[in-house]
Formats: sequence, structure tokens, C-alpha cells
Amino acid sequence: MSTLRIAAVQASYELMNHDANIEKVAGLTSAAAREGAELVVFPEVFVPGPPIWIDTQPIWHGDEDWYALLARNAVVVPGPGTERLAAVAAEHGVWLAVGVDERERHGGTIYNTVLYFSPSGELAGRHRKLVPTGSERTVWGMGDGSTMPVVDTGLARIGGLTCWENYMPLARFHMYAQGVDVWVAPTLAMGDGWIATMRHIARENRMFVIGVNPVQHADQIPAGFPARDRLLPPAYLERNGPWVDEGNSVVVAPDGSVIAGPVREREETLIADLDLRSVAIQRRHVDPVGHYNRPDIFRLHVDTSPRRAVTCGHGIASDSQGGSDEHLGNSQRFTA
Amino acid sequence: MEPVKVAAVQAAPVLLDRDATVARVVALCEKAAAEGARLVAFPEAFVPGYPDWVWRTRPWDATASSLYARLLDQAVVAGSPATAVLARTARRLGIWLSVGADERDEAGSTVYNSLLHFAPDGTLAARHRKLMPTGGERLVWGTGDGSTLDVVDTGFGRLGGLICWENYMPLARAALYARGVDIYLAPTWDNSEVWVPTLRHIAKEGRTYVIGVTSCIRASDLPSDLPGRAELYGDADDWLSRGNSAIVGPGGEILAGPLTGEEGILYAEIDAGEARAARMQFDPVGHYSRSDVLHLSVDATARAAVSFRPGDDAGEPALPPGEPGSGPAEAGVTP
Repeated sequence: MSTLRIAAVQASYELMNHDANIEKVAGLTSAAAREGAELVVFPEVFVPGPPIWIDTQPIWHGDEDWYALLARNAVVVPGPGTERLAAVAAEHGVWLAVGVDERERHGGTIYNTVLYFSPSGELAGRHRKLVPTGSERTVWGMGDGSTMPVVDTGLARIGGLTCWENYMPLARFHMYAQGVDVWVAPTLAMGDGWIATMRHIARENRMFVIGVNPVQHADQIPAGFPARDRLLPPAYLERNGPWVDEGNSVVVAPDGSVIAGPVREREETLIADLDLRSVAIQRRHVDPVGHYNRPDIFRLHVDTSPRRAVTCGHGIASDSQGGSDEHLGNSQRFTA
Repeated sequence: MEPVKVAAVQAAPVLLDRDATVARVVALCEKAAAEGARLVAFPEAFVPGYPDWVWRTRPWDATASSLYARLLDQAVVAGSPATAVLARTARRLGIWLSVGADERDEAGSTVYNSLLHFAPDGTLAARHRKLMPTGGERLVWGTGDGSTLDVVDTGFGRLGGLICWENYMPLARAALYARGVDIYLAPTWDNSEVWVPTLRHIAKEGRTYVIGVTSCIRASDLPSDLPGRAELYGDADDWLSRGNSAIVGPGGEILAGPLTGEEGILYAEIDAGEARAARMQFDPVGHYSRSDVLHLSVDATARAAVSFRPGDDAGEPALPPGEPGSGPAEAGVTP
């Protein structure tokens, strides 16, 4: 078998509701699994939804209650939310990729994260977006190089980047070098230009690309949402229309041709069969990390170490260079 | 930064006839300059034409070999009368002239796929040799080194570019972004529909203007004495390249084209200041890079196969006799 059936779930979220969106994932994954999907992909920060206020008014302008909701409904890894998602993957025997607003258990910073769950119910991978875009920088922190995984499903190697990270050539190259066959691009990006990017990236690394967006109409904001009347000012709606997220989900083949979507202004799960043999066949044309690379000219260095704010230990730590010198001194003493 | 008009010339070369094709470039430059263009861009390997036969012959068969011999003979040498004509044209018309060429060193027998940029002062301001040819192209073109990834300041924006599927090399693009490219040329032979999305992606990724320019040529345009013409090529409906030129703005929006199935000149008004201002939203080598996580180093050294030291030319030992490394095997060869 070299065919992978995938589902790109374009769905609406219930804004800033952790539990409701987890259950949406459960229900929609069940439906996709009934269609035979082996990999089910959800949009960027689907749980508990995007902090939509950051683009509808000035920064920090009466957003206290909204931000508090975001922090309270963010997904802690591991936590009850991830346990439930892992169970959903296991129950249906699927690979599951879900975008979440993530925070550390005792942390006050939210990260834009994609979680990968395996059919055996394990958290198989986590990617924190490296650079948020514009106003996003006022609500999301930045990931480090330690969360850029490519996950091997046994049938295909899957991985990806989030939204405008897809415009980071060096980040893409690092992922390509890990041998990714199926690219997962959860996003909020609307419009035709994004589709051009999805097609370019597919053709650049000769791989399948799954772009997944949420869809949200202004009317879908819950009635009791705090300061709901201020959330989407009339002037904003007049300029941007009633779709907070209009959707844009698409599936692209390794030659850059669109095989499903783009779908907009409605919920829809795109189902597509990916013929994985075409990846290897297409790479005879271009392999950006192989025969179409010039490693004699270009050298990309990636720091994949986790960068925690604090490292704890005994005594006063020097930097790694000093540490190794000290170690060398010890071993010299032993050999002498 | 002043807004200027730029031109992308979609035309047919006189295949494997350097002087006739150069004359065509001159005439088309005059036309574009008369329309007010300050930069005139021509397709990949336009002088003396793209070696389309690499996709039609068997490698190294007799026809392929005769065609290569003619390509070599008709290739462009920097500093030769052909480039002098192009440089004079740029000066006479007061334009930047960027033209793709099958190019070789004066004493060389390997052809490179190069992009030559002539300045309004009549100099060859920059040259880029394609780093990696594609598929069948690898049978006729060598590979450039990292020394020709320059960007040149035109006064109305920094000009640079990559050739054809080099545009699928993320690291090469990142190098140009780091050089501050505002006007990115993408001469190509690629006729596919998905090429235009690639131009749009690059524009948005680099927040740069992208000028995609493609040859437009049919079998009926080919010289009658072209080796293998009858066996390789059909009639007027046999398109070697239908053209696919397009000019894209720094938001990924199409400003002109795509033009297919006919010769023509695309024009667009560009303003490098707008491209730079658009990097408020995205700057792949600035605020949207992560230099702590991802760092690219580029070896921009010119890499000749052989270099000669003056001492060797004079027949004198470069190193005192008896020193390590002074033997004949090492002499004159740069590691």
C-alpha cells in the first residue's frame, strides 16, 4: 500500500472554549475516520480558537477579559486536553494533527503549537511556531529549534510549519532535509496568494501539501462572549466582510497541482488519496536537499537544542565551553 | 525611491545565432526604452537561445553533439564584441539591460547558463551563473559557484535574480534576500501553469518585485540549417516554448501577464520603496527570521578549477626548494 487517505478538516471553532473544541475535534475525527482517513488535520490554533481581537482593534485596547479567556482555555501539554486528543486518535486508529494555543502548566505565555498524535494514542510530535506574525506577537511567544519534528507514520513522513512560517525558507529547508513526504500547513491565511504558496512549496520539495484553515462567520461568535459588541467593530466588518475566517483549505500534489479545494465560506472536510510513490518519482526533477542543492556553497546550521528560560543545577554553571574545559582538565589529571 | 517602468520581453531568439539574436535584443530594447522602460529583462539563455534539444535527443548522440558544437561556437563571452554591443545599447538608451546568455570563458569549452546585467553607464555590472541546471540541461551546462549571487543597486532598487528552477532552491533565494533584492528576475523556460504561483510565492516571501520572463518560440522560428532540425522539430504548431512571462508585486499580486502563446513586452510600474515598506509584514532575513535557530552561511568564493600564481608563470619556484608543497603536483593549484 502506498496510498495515504487524508482528511483536511475545515471547521468552525467555538471561540475560546477548550472543551467544546476538543469535542469538535473528536466528532469530526470520527466522521473522517468513517471515510477511511488515516491522517486527519485540523486548522491552526483550532483549540480554543484564534485570538481574533488582535486584528480588530488597537493592541491592548480593552482586551483583558479576552486574553484571560485565552489563557484559561489554552492547552497544557500534557494535560486533560491532550489526553482526550490522544484517546480520540487511538479510538479511530488515525494520525491526528491539531493546532492549539498552548501554554506551560504554570506559564503565562501562549504558544502557537501543532500537536501530532499517533494511532496508538501517543503524542508523537509537537511544533511551536517560530515567529508569530504582526499582531500575533502580542499574544504568542516564539518556539525554539527543538520542536521541528518530522513524524514517521510508517507509510509517510509528515511534518510542516504553521501559517506564515511557510514563508521562512530556512525553516522549510530544515524540514525538507528531514525527509518530509506530506506537509501539514495549518493556517489562518486567506486568499488566492496563499494557494500560490501552497502550490509552490509542494513543487519546491516535491511533496504533498495539506493546507487547513478554520471557517468562522461573525454570527458564530457565542452570544455570551465577553464584550461581544466590541469584538468585531462595525467598521471592521464593513471593511473585511462577515467572515472572520473564510477558510482556504487545499490539498496539493508534488507537481504543484491542486487535488482538492480550495474551499471557502463553508465547513467541509476535504478527503484525498495521496499516492506516495509520486513523491519519489517527482524528486527526479527537483530534490532541494539532494541533487538540486549546492552544499559546497550553502551550509545551513540549525540549533535544535531546547532553550529553557532557566537551567537548574548545583554550583554556578559556566557556559558549555567552560564546562568542557573543566572536564578536559579532570580527564588530564586522571591520565597523568 | 522613484517609481520606474520595467519591461519583460517575451520573444524568440534566432536559435544558435548569436549576432542575429543580439541584434534582436537591441531592437527590442529600443522599443521598450521608447515606452519609458528603465529596466529591460530578457529570457533565460536568450542569446543565442535555450538548448531545447536536450529534451528531444538521446544524450551524446550525433545530433546532440553537433548542436553542442554550435552552441559552444555561438556562446557569449564576457568582454567580447557581443557583450560590447549589449553594453553600448544599455548606455545609449540609458537602461538597465538584463539578458540570459549561454556563456563561456574565453578559453573555455563548458557553457554556463548566465544572467548578465548591463548598466546605463555601459558596464557589465553583474553576472550570475546558474548554480544547478535541470535534468537534460546538465548535459550542456556547467554549474556556477557562490561568487555570482550578487545584487546590484540600480538607483531605483536592488536588482538580482535566479534562473528557472534555481528558483526552487530555498537557500539561494535566502542569499538574495539577505543581499536586499528589491527587483528579482526569474528568467525561465518553464511553461507550466504552476510556475506563476511560484513567482507569486517568491514575491511574497521576499517582499520583492518578481519579473518572470520566458522565451516564446516555435519550430517555424528555427533556422533552416539547424543540425537535426527535420528529425527533432515539427511545424509551426510545434511550440518549443509558449511563453509564461509575468510581473508580480511584493504582495504576490500579478501586475502584468501571464502572457502565453504570443510574443510581446509586459510593462509594469514598480517602486522599490513599496517593496521595502511591505517588509513591515514579512522580512525573511530580518524580523521574520530566527538567526538563533537557523543560520545560513554562503561560500561566495570564486572557484576556478585551476589558478596560476605569478611565480609559476615566470617559471620560478613559488616556494623555496625543498619546502613541503613545492612539488609539481601541488604547484599552482589552489586547494
